[in-house]
Amino acid sequence: MAARRNNPSGIVPIIQNIVSTVDLDCALDLNHIALHSRNSEFFPKRFSAVIMRIKDPKTTALIFASGKMVCTGAKNETQSKLAARKFARIIQKLGFPAKFRDFRIQNIVASCDVQFTIRLEKFACTSHGAFSTYEPELFPGLIYRMKQPKLVLLIFVSGKVVITGAKKRDDFYTAFDNIYSVLAEFKK
Amino acid sequence: MGDAYCSDCKRQTEVVFDHSAGDTVCSECGLVLESHSIDETSEWRTFANESADNDPVRVGGPTNPLLADGGLSTVIAKPNGASGEFLSSSLGRWQNRGSNPDRGLILAFKTIATMSDRLGLVATIKDRANEIYKRVEDQKSSRGRNQDALLAACLYIACRQEDKPRTVKEICSVANGATKKEIGRAKEYIVKQLGLETGQSVEMGTIHAGDFMRRFCSNLGMNNQAVKAAQEAVQKSEEFDIRRSPISIAAAVIYIITQLSEEKKPSLKDISGATGVAEGTIRNSYKDLYPHVLKIIPSWFAKEEDLKNLCSP
Repeated sequence: MAARRNNPSGIVPIIQNIVSTVDLDCALDLNHIALHSRNSEFFPKRFSAVIMRIKDPKTTALIFASGKMVCTGAKNETQSKLAARKFARIIQKLGFPAKFRDFRIQNIVASCDVQFTIRLEKFACTSHGAFSTYEPELFPGLIYRMKQPKLVLLIFVSGKVVITGAKKRDDFYTAFDNIYSVLAEFKK
Repeated sequence: MGDAYCSDCKRQTEVVFDHSAGDTVCSECGLVLESHSIDETSEWRTFANESADNDPVRVGGPTNPLLADGGLSTVIAKPNGASGEFLSSSLGRWQNRGSNPDRGLILAFKTIATMSDRLGLVATIKDRANEIYKRVEDQKSSRGRNQDALLAACLYIACRQEDKPRTVKEICSVANGATKKEIGRAKEYIVKQLGLETGQSVEMGTIHAGDFMRRFCSNLGMNNQAVKAAQEAVQKSEEFDIRRSPISIAAAVIYIITQLSEEKKPSLKDISGATGVAEGTIRNSYKDLYPHVLKIIPSWFAKEEDLKNLCSP
């Protein structure tokens, strides 16, 4: 993986969740899959996909009848791919000609702590106000929609920051670098 | 008396204007040149000492620039209870069937007016809400949205832009059927739409507890001293690291101030009703405020012993 970014503070955001999709490239019989595997649930009235979980890596997959699959819960890009491959293997073992096409990471969620309390109202009033949404009545965190790279940060008074919407690890490293320099001005 | 060309005499002759019949008559041959002329002088006489309530010169309401034709058209109303009258009800039906581009707008404006009346808002806020609604409606993408929530959100944004914010719960109470979540979502949507349209000129400051103080205090009937003390307390509390919604802080400060004053103390339930904050939340916010209570409450209002008497959470 890419080398750790040298942020002056030494804080590195930690990945909490990765959502990825892959195309198994064959039509699937969801009823058959649900009946012949122990770790899956399928309620067609509620949601038209099989929800399958595996223990290692601890992930959940939504498997659709068209053959497309969404894999969530991994903490690592390699783990996400490994988990998706495991799910595809299960589908293969059930008798479907599953392939592994177009594995793509769609979203990475990361969190970190800047170690100081932040004045959110001041932050929302400044020139960054165009990108921020701070409604204490609706949500206690400030929602910062960064344009470059295009992702969303949730900034809380305690100093915790959640970064979501990244497709690559570097994106959120850059985003955190950008936001850290700005946040330091609004230390309480 | 004037001069005009008479077609019978074939020359300019003296012409008499008969006001009673509205005729212009040639004085030489008696030919009526024009009849039924329209008198353009004033219809009514207005005197300085008369009441300004019904000025007969003016007809209809003020023009509304937001509506397509300025709101000048006439609407046939359905008479109360006299539904048996065939003519008026069918006329009303025929007019409604016709294409009226403003019908949705007029209905929306009426709803906004009802809501702002219930809250007792001034006309400026209502007009601003109408304007916001029109700007959002112009972009057709808002069709499938919950109309009630959208109108409530327009009103909420209008109140905020006029620096007289109302809590979402207050807006909820007059909006029929819209929940806090829906209004919040509609508000985000409107802000985005207005941003798209005008290039990010939506200016809305964050809310502060002090904005709501006056209103909450007067709802509870607190006296002036208490109100001033509460406002000062809330100003001071902003410096401390209290992680609570501004409304909850306001409610907790009111609770402290009323507990300290000698007059009739409103119960937690009363404060909860006036502010819209749950009782449990007020108690928790009180717990958060208690460590700083000495620094927040102004010294001219309550002395240290009184503060010590305050019940510990």
